[in-house]
Amino acid sequence: MALTITDECINCDVCEPECPNNAISQGDEIYVIDPAKCTECVGHYDESQCVAVCPVDCIVVDPANTESKEQLHDKFLRLTATPA
Amino acid sequence: MSNLSTASLLTKKDFESNQDVRWCPGCGDYAVLAQIQKLMPQLGIPRENFAFISGIGCSSRFPYYMETYGMHGIHGRAPAIASGLKLARPELSVWVVTGDGDALAIGGNHFIHAMRRNVDLKIVLLNNRIYGLTKGQYSPTSELGMKTKTTPLGNIDRPFSPVALALGAGATFVARTVDSDQAHMAGVLKRAAEHRGSAFVEIFQNCIVFNDGAYDAITDKSVRDDARLLLEHGKPLVFGKNKDKGIRLRGLEPEVVAIGEHAASEADLVMHDESAEHSGLAFFLSQFDAPNFPVPLGVFRAVRQPTYEEMNIQLHADAEARKGRGTLDALFNSGDTWTIK
Repeated sequence: MALTITDECINCDVCEPECPNNAISQGDEIYVIDPAKCTECVGHYDESQCVAVCPVDCIVVDPANTESKEQLHDKFLRLTATPA
Repeated sequence: MSNLSTASLLTKKDFESNQDVRWCPGCGDYAVLAQIQKLMPQLGIPRENFAFISGIGCSSRFPYYMETYGMHGIHGRAPAIASGLKLARPELSVWVVTGDGDALAIGGNHFIHAMRRNVDLKIVLLNNRIYGLTKGQYSPTSELGMKTKTTPLGNIDRPFSPVALALGAGATFVARTVDSDQAHMAGVLKRAAEHRGSAFVEIFQNCIVFNDGAYDAITDKSVRDDARLLLEHGKPLVFGKNKDKGIRLRGLEPEVVAIGEHAASEADLVMHDESAEHSGLAFFLSQFDAPNFPVPLGVFRAVRQPTYEEMNIQLHADAEARKGRGTLDALFNSGDTWTIK
């Protein structure tokens, strides 16, 4: 499952540099996660880095983008594949 | 700054400068910046009529990030610079962004006198209870017993309540909010912006590096409802997850009571009245603190009184009506004059 940032985000910029997939960016109102790039850190770390650092605990699993660990791992492989 | 702006067409983006925001990742200051940038276009004021004045500290980097006029002033003196600006250009919306060190330590004098005079300034104090920019020394709002780099055995200086200080200095608008509650902060800042006269807003702001967790008791979702009291004008002082606790007065002593059967009814509770001319209720609320009382958030006081610049303009108009416009030369050669031979 990809992660999403709720409207409790305080725009503090702590999560963006932590993301190994560069999936987080500053949106119009709050920071946003690109579900196509978020692997919940599967493939990179044991725990989701943004969730670990968020000071207000506003990053949660996105119910609209549910994926299994295997699917996330596939996404990780796809994102990190070097073009042939 | 580009062309003069039309207030009605502005958006949040118009108030974001091209400077990289240099606060620590995770800092509560970002939340305040975002809310103020969001608020500006809602006020119907042209962008060139805003000025943000600051002193020294993390909070005081604020003017760099606002695409408005502004000045990063000298330590603690932002209210003095802002007062002068407001007197010279009363049509401007003048904001002071300060911190617990800048406003309450070195700037304590300027801070109280700006409010005593009721200069129409919006004074936003980001209170993190620590000196962040200088890396972790205790501040005038650090709690008793707190261990910091300069209080290794624990702090024995009793902390200021910025709200009580503002009320004591006669501020006509006094409010408090918290960095992690965006909706509440937006509401309080809007009220402050619309107030005529000195508007003081204390924002509880978490310093993630040097004083992390300072406000956990009132921001943590599992406990905050029982630890904070949301002030609403004209409503009884009620709090708690189930809205089952209230504040009652026994003589001049406040007490927390349970509401419901075999307990107090809402009619027994203190009603919040932010417009009371007498600041007694607001002051009494400013004394509430953990663990015995919930921490109040919201507007403590909002009363309309003549502002300093209004009185100053009137003073000049009256003098001019009485004596005519006058000239500098006439002034120099009036009163006691001496000829040195």
